[in-house]
Amino acid sequence: MRPIPFILCLAAASVLAAPGIAQAHMTPPVVYLSDRDAVVGMTAGAKKHFVREVKLTPEEQRAIASQSGWQADEPFYRFYLGRGEDGKIVSAVTFLTEFTIHGPMRVAVALGPDGKVKDARIIEVTEEISTWVKPLAAGGFLQQFVGRDSRGSFAVPASHAASQENMVHFYGEVTARLIHRGAILFDTAFLKRGEM
Amino acid sequence: MKGIFLSQLPLAAKVYCSLLLVGLGLGFLAAFVQAVTAIGLSYNEVQGSFAPETPMTHMEHGHMSSERQMDINELGSSAKVWIRTPLLIQTSHTHLFGLNLIAGLAGLVFVFSSLAEWKKVVVLVLLFGGIIVDIGGMWLTRFVWPPFAALVLVGGISFALAYAAIFLVSFYELWLKKEAPR
Repeated sequence: MRPIPFILCLAAASVLAAPGIAQAHMTPPVVYLSDRDAVVGMTAGAKKHFVREVKLTPEEQRAIASQSGWQADEPFYRFYLGRGEDGKIVSAVTFLTEFTIHGPMRVAVALGPDGKVKDARIIEVTEEISTWVKPLAAGGFLQQFVGRDSRGSFAVPASHAASQENMVHFYGEVTARLIHRGAILFDTAFLKRGEM
Repeated sequence: MKGIFLSQLPLAAKVYCSLLLVGLGLGFLAAFVQAVTAIGLSYNEVQGSFAPETPMTHMEHGHMSSERQMDINELGSSAKVWIRTPLLIQTSHTHLFGLNLIAGLAGLVFVFSSLAEWKKVVVLVLLFGGIIVDIGGMWLTRFVWPPFAALVLVGGISFALAYAAIFLVSFYELWLKKEAPR
């Protein structure tokens, strides 16, 4: 068998797989929920959807840092607003990410018009982190923060702190921190600006 | 190379080279499936994963907020990954090490093929160059210009084609080639 036709034939077949191979080297993230599904699910009852993007002033950034230690330095933050027939906000959903040593963790937080947490869901983690956040999600960990606003406590309760392994507790704290940040952002960008 | 060619290797060495290339090839297939589910394969999907987040509203200069009504379908219904800078850093360092090691092993087998030296050089440049163009394209997409996402595909395809060539030439010479080396 002559090599050139053989090689060309198989090379041609391999070209079909090439784009996939081209993208084959990503770290393996686990995405639990699409953004659309999260927004739809967390704005239940809304008749219309809006997107609002907000920039924080340096003063607002400083206030957030002094309140929570969070450096809110993104160019802008985005809220997906679900509004009722009367135009009033049913809930506002924002997505927040923290980069840990094991990769990113992304959480969606829904806030009511009063600034209180209505819902929170884990959207994306890495495969490694998923083993630690599964017990949290299964145990209803996120729902305990429902009803709290930016001034509420987002400390991880002792029952979770003492349970299982340290990494579960660590990611419980990360989750709580992200939910708190969502409440702080809404408070800053809507309530304190009087834009409700 | 120095009178040693794949077709003349002892059986154990042929089996070793073959299993190595097959193992790496299976790794690529698994990675292919992972890429399809996590990122997608089109130019737009690659760009969407690596480019910085662009505003959905038109916030005028000096304004601190902007709002518009949206169709919920503007949001992707598929659960895809958006590669942000820290993840890009992580991805870059692990894949630069990993892919170069893979390329090094596969290339080491390939240098013992009986192809002309310039042909081997071309394939090796495509192999290693593809890695640099690929990872470099990710950074350029994120920080310079989103259409550089094309480089990610070009680099990946270059790497894939070079590996395919190495795989096919090596297998041919290991198991099918009968004639004496040049």
